[in-house]
Amino acid sequence: MTSSLKIEGLRVEVAGKEVLRGFDLFMASGEVHAIMGPNGSGKSTLAHALSGHPGYKVLGGSVLLDGVELLGLSATERARHGLLLALQHPMEVPGVRPLDLLVAAGADPTNLRARMSEEAQRVELRSDVLDRFVNVDLSGGERKRAEMVQLGILRPKFAVLDEIDSGLDVDALGAVSRRLFAATTEWNCGVLVITHFRRLLQELTPTKIHVVSEGRVVATGGPELSEVLERDGYEPFRHQNS
Amino acid sequence: MKIFAESARSFISSSPTARDRERAWESFQEIGLPTTADEVWRYAPLSEFVIDHFDVANEPRVRDVSAFGEQLCAAGGLVVRVVDGFLSSVSATLDGVSVTSIESATTLRGEDPIERYESDAFALLSVALAPATTILEIAERVNIDQPIIILYDATGSASFSQTQIKVGDASSVTVVEYFEGGSEALVVPLSEYEVGVNASLQLITYQRLDDSAWHVARTTGLIRKDARLRQAVIGMGAHYNRSRNDAELLGTGAENELRTTFLGAGRQVHDFRTHQFHKAQRSRSTLLSKGAVADESRSVYTGLIEIEKGAKRTDARQTNHNLLLSPHAHADSVPNLDIRENDVMCAHASSVGPLDELQRWYLESRGVTRSDAERLIIQGFFYEMLTTLPEELAALVEDDVTAALSSLQMVAP
Repeated sequence: MTSSLKIEGLRVEVAGKEVLRGFDLFMASGEVHAIMGPNGSGKSTLAHALSGHPGYKVLGGSVLLDGVELLGLSATERARHGLLLALQHPMEVPGVRPLDLLVAAGADPTNLRARMSEEAQRVELRSDVLDRFVNVDLSGGERKRAEMVQLGILRPKFAVLDEIDSGLDVDALGAVSRRLFAATTEWNCGVLVITHFRRLLQELTPTKIHVVSEGRVVATGGPELSEVLERDGYEPFRHQNS
Repeated sequence: MKIFAESARSFISSSPTARDRERAWESFQEIGLPTTADEVWRYAPLSEFVIDHFDVANEPRVRDVSAFGEQLCAAGGLVVRVVDGFLSSVSATLDGVSVTSIESATTLRGEDPIERYESDAFALLSVALAPATTILEIAERVNIDQPIIILYDATGSASFSQTQIKVGDASSVTVVEYFEGGSEALVVPLSEYEVGVNASLQLITYQRLDDSAWHVARTTGLIRKDARLRQAVIGMGAHYNRSRNDAELLGTGAENELRTTFLGAGRQVHDFRTHQFHKAQRSRSTLLSKGAVADESRSVYTGLIEIEKGAKRTDARQTNHNLLLSPHAHADSVPNLDIRENDVMCAHASSVGPLDELQRWYLESRGVTRSDAERLIIQGFFYEMLTTLPEELAALVEDDVTAALSSLQMVAP
């Protein structure tokens, strides 16, 4: 089954400032889209607003997942409709174990621990980490691998990954990229990666790249766009839309 | 104080150690019951406390252990049952472990308990009225692999238990103290723990008394050179739950880790007091107190870190977090430092507020409902306290806590 994620005219305010100012994006399941742009362009705001982070205020626009408007829904309902946000700095939740989190999130409890171990193995995460509290005392790399375990169990229709590549060494980056790429075929997961770096896109070939500047998409292209960005930087794309 | 006093006198006069008990009773009468004018009792609901609701029993009532108690016992290597302060049974013998009971004991430091507790009314009552002191002693240089369970049942209307745990040099042991019963009762446990040179005592105190109980507990840990006391105190039950946990770090390199947690519901009051007293160099203490108050419940945390002159390179940390789960709940946090040495590391932090919004959002963003997210985080408080327990035992206590929490109403303030 093909799913779609359609973002139209999204406007979001953070701390009194309008950061997303009419953001548009359309993607289908099984595709990999990348959002690139300079600091402060609104990339992370998009990720947080999509998943209903309490600090982000939506001023207007629409986000449809298979035709269902997500913007009026709680973070829980958005996730249950098939949207998963993996964070740059996944939160520590002392006292809560990954297994309990996943069961509460609606994962099938049958053989869950064993399936989590398999998922951990795929991203080369030590299995004993799964018995510790969520993200507590984990390194940056372990946290992101642990996010991939959740992704593998929850199997979202769309995964949004906010700078999941920052602070990752080459091995971890490879493991995370391979897992995401496999997800696009295993259950036709749509992957939206937000990144500063080309590195990730070499492992995880995007269907489309969107360049963001000042809260809007200012250019969209194929994988070749990342080479242009590498060569010329973001400067040529600035103000294109203003 | 007629009914209580008469039952106390009758108990004392029939005891072989009546003279010592009489002295303790007189000392108690001299200072009398505390009032909220005393700073250390300021937050206690003493206006509701009527001592004549209680009387002192001459013997324990025999009663079945709860289903949870049975499960807990099955997980232990040795089970000691104490009913209303009487040592009622010891399940087995273990090499290097002795369990005895004596009528009246001096403190672990050899002091006269009446002098030691001269300003503590409830401790003096315990000295006068506890039928015996249960002494658990671990020999030197032994590792006790299986946990020792002490099951305290309060069946009477006033229930005084005294316990001393002594861990010999270079030995290690895990002890679980579990309290149940206490319906409409006054329950006053008084305990001392001594951890010998290079020894390790891991202690979990799990209080699951009836919601109508008045629980006034006091523990003192004496920690020798390079010894380690890791103590977790979990308070679930009682109408008034007072738990005072002191530790004296007496030898170089002594270590104390204390974790206390509570959950307040209905009109419960949790009153936690701690005192980490560093008397030796390179001693370390870590204290984490986390609790949540729902409904119209209240909590107080008062903690003192005291560092004596000369206790160089001491490292002491104290953290207290209180969650408010209802607009009618209330928490007070009173951390104190008394430092008389310069070459130390000392930190304290405390907070009172609603649940961490971002932690909750993180769970919600995975598809967890708000109420489940809140429940998971609060359960987590208790689970965190159990991380050092053997897995089987931790799982058991976790299940019990989870069941107890499942009925709780949580409303964000």
